[in-house]
Amino acid sequence: MENFQMLFHGFTVVLSLQNIGACLLGAVLGLVVGAMPGIGSLAGVALLLPLTYKFNPTTAIIMLGALYYSNMYGGSFSAILLNIPGDSPAVMTALDGYPMATKRKRPGQALFTANMASFVGGTIGMIILTFMGPALADVGLHFGPAEMAVLLLVAMTSIGWLVGSNPTNGVVLSLVGILIASIGMDLQTGSPRFNFGNIYLLGGVKFIPFVIGTVGFAQVMRLMDEKEDTTKSEITEKLTIRGSLLTPHDFKRLLPPAIRSGIMGTFVGVLPGAGATTGAFLGYAMQRAFKNEDPLGSGAVEGIAACEAANNAAAAGSFAPLLALGIPGSGTGAVLLGGLMMWGLNPGPLLFTNEPEFAWGLIASLFLANLLTLIIALGIIPVLIKILSVPVKVIIPIIMVVCLVGGYSDTYSMYGVIIMLISGICGYVLEKSGFSTAPMLLAFVLAPLLEDNMRKAFVISGGSVSGVFFNSAISIVLTVVFIAIAATPIVRAILTKCGVLKVKKAK
Amino acid sequence: MKKFLAVALVMMLSLALFANGTQEGGAASGFTPTKDVEWTCTSKPGGGSDIFTQQIKDALKTQGITDANVVISYVTDGGGEVGRLQVAMTGKNKADYTLLTFNSGDLMPMVKNTDNRIENFTPLAVMAVDKQLLFIGENAKYKTWQEVLDAIKAGKKVVIAGSKGDDIETYNKLIAELGVSEAQLSYITNDSTSGAITSLLGGHVDLCMSKPAAAAQYVEAGKMKAVLALSESRFTAPSLKDAPTLSEFGYNNVEVPVWRGVVGPKAMSEEAAAFWSECLRQVSESQVWQENYIAKNGLVSEFKDYKAAKEYMTQYQADYLKSLGK
Repeated sequence: MENFQMLFHGFTVVLSLQNIGACLLGAVLGLVVGAMPGIGSLAGVALLLPLTYKFNPTTAIIMLGALYYSNMYGGSFSAILLNIPGDSPAVMTALDGYPMATKRKRPGQALFTANMASFVGGTIGMIILTFMGPALADVGLHFGPAEMAVLLLVAMTSIGWLVGSNPTNGVVLSLVGILIASIGMDLQTGSPRFNFGNIYLLGGVKFIPFVIGTVGFAQVMRLMDEKEDTTKSEITEKLTIRGSLLTPHDFKRLLPPAIRSGIMGTFVGVLPGAGATTGAFLGYAMQRAFKNEDPLGSGAVEGIAACEAANNAAAAGSFAPLLALGIPGSGTGAVLLGGLMMWGLNPGPLLFTNEPEFAWGLIASLFLANLLTLIIALGIIPVLIKILSVPVKVIIPIIMVVCLVGGYSDTYSMYGVIIMLISGICGYVLEKSGFSTAPMLLAFVLAPLLEDNMRKAFVISGGSVSGVFFNSAISIVLTVVFIAIAATPIVRAILTKCGVLKVKKAK
Repeated sequence: MKKFLAVALVMMLSLALFANGTQEGGAASGFTPTKDVEWTCTSKPGGGSDIFTQQIKDALKTQGITDANVVISYVTDGGGEVGRLQVAMTGKNKADYTLLTFNSGDLMPMVKNTDNRIENFTPLAVMAVDKQLLFIGENAKYKTWQEVLDAIKAGKKVVIAGSKGDDIETYNKLIAELGVSEAQLSYITNDSTSGAITSLLGGHVDLCMSKPAAAAQYVEAGKMKAVLALSESRFTAPSLKDAPTLSEFGYNNVEVPVWRGVVGPKAMSEEAAAFWSECLRQVSESQVWQENYIAKNGLVSEFKDYKAAKEYMTQYQADYLKSLGK
């Protein structure tokens, strides 16, 4: 209960007119910047950090918290409306979000679902953070390189059958993603790999231009290719505010996955370096095991809810190690940490004892930011969905410019643009040949994490395999899950062959 | 708290005003900047090199050291190698107006992975030096360095976690000096020191290599304890002074200084080099710099002018090349 009192005290700090104003400003700006593809939450927080210089420390920190948090909301907007993920967790949102907005012609509901789920997930994450606080950070510490490696292995194995209709294609593209991710400096020894003497490739392929090209630029080409009549928009019906509200039935569909993912996402967010992408991915993977009204990937409310809730819960969960240990869970977290330290806040083991009013003020401001962002987001959705009624001939050049700017703005050089164009062409060819590119993007994000942790784990265990997979109770459980996932299709095939299981009728 | 901060802020600002009056035009003559200065930083905004660069830029302005307009450009492609190459190849007409933040952690990958060398730059200054220590966690298996040595001798495997660049070099020198193999005393590379600290706090590794600043609050909270100073002499800070150096165990001391400096292109004129070196000396002596950067990050302020810096960096490169066997 002590924590609850402290949180209450935090609210009394936050709820002054000036602080609410700062929180509101932070939320609006964060939302706008987060919604711009290519800028994303990392650059968004870095860009907007200097704005806080004008305020007193408490207000500045509240604004930072709001900025960070609302950035997470923004990423889903472009994923749903344009099929361009604003940041890496939004790759998952696009899987169901874009089909729901275009094929099912329910863009308003798709955005509402994303925001409601984010709100639910975020709130769950913050409640867990409030009650468990520093203890939560200690849970994360139990995940060493070995445990992380097996966890990521579980995630990587499920990519293929999780996303898209053809598991074989999924596995092939996962491998391509891994190959592309291995370009650049080796993580453990610092030696160059696959750079072919090129100085730019030494730094590897960057995610932002890669994803914008593979998804966004490929989208431009697809639109040009497919649309015979480019004067019409993708959606011809009139979009009204009333028509975009969620029905009670939709609410019932989104709530269970949002709550499940919210709890799971919080714990994934606490793990060192796992971040929101792993959270969103596992949330979606878990949803596969539950009942869905529409099949996942075809625009299911459950799909959007599962990954968005996990994403925001992970963002909240990552505050536990950030505040209690001074360890940022992501690049964005690192920038935020820098901002907090600039204001004299010293995240670390002593924070909750030395500066409770700062720490709890920040947590309280996250609650406030979560609520404010939801309200703002709900307010702008009716405006945003108008994007879809823009004729294709207008939208094509706009997306093209967004892609070019997004590719450039990652490192402020033409290297990003070139990567964007090449991956765009490849993405288009792949989609055209019936390959879904999402597994490649996910493998690209997760592979470096897996490699890094796997190699560290093997160094620690001295090359012993059992020292990695059976190192602790956590490892053993995860290894069993991993084997189960990997063996299920094989066992099923054998059983079917022996006639134990009935052959599924082809659809 | 608020009042204190306000007072501190006013004091800092007024200090800057005074300084403005006294130090104007203090830099060496022979060259005066007349154009915008482009300062290349090879880390992202908010990264370590950026904070270093921003602090110098602010001090140059607030202390009235030079009126030159400094523009920071971030060139992060190729792990920073693109930016370093661009600066190295800058031609005569822009050379006097081009600066680059250059640390030991930049020199190592550059020398290792590219053909770019310190000879392609004009070193201007070394601003600060940092040294490493080895730490144990709260529930460590080995409580002292002697226990670690005994464990290695008994054939047990000990694991150190650390960061990239300088840390790896320090580790290599350490195992060479101890005469043990990588399998006996292993090293895992993390993206940053905070990653290494995470592994130590979680009890996944035995030791963690860190600079004093990154470990300070964990030491204060009793979560980490220094067991070995990788330095020629013991540290003086109260929380670190109990950590022995390697020579106290009958070995030679291992010290790989981590330095932060500034360089210009090779084509930079001698006058400009002297001018910038003098500007940086004034920054390094200013109170703002000493308080906001050196003290805050627990660094050792060690200024070397452009002549000394050239010698120092060239020697550092030679040592490193030798350890690589190049």
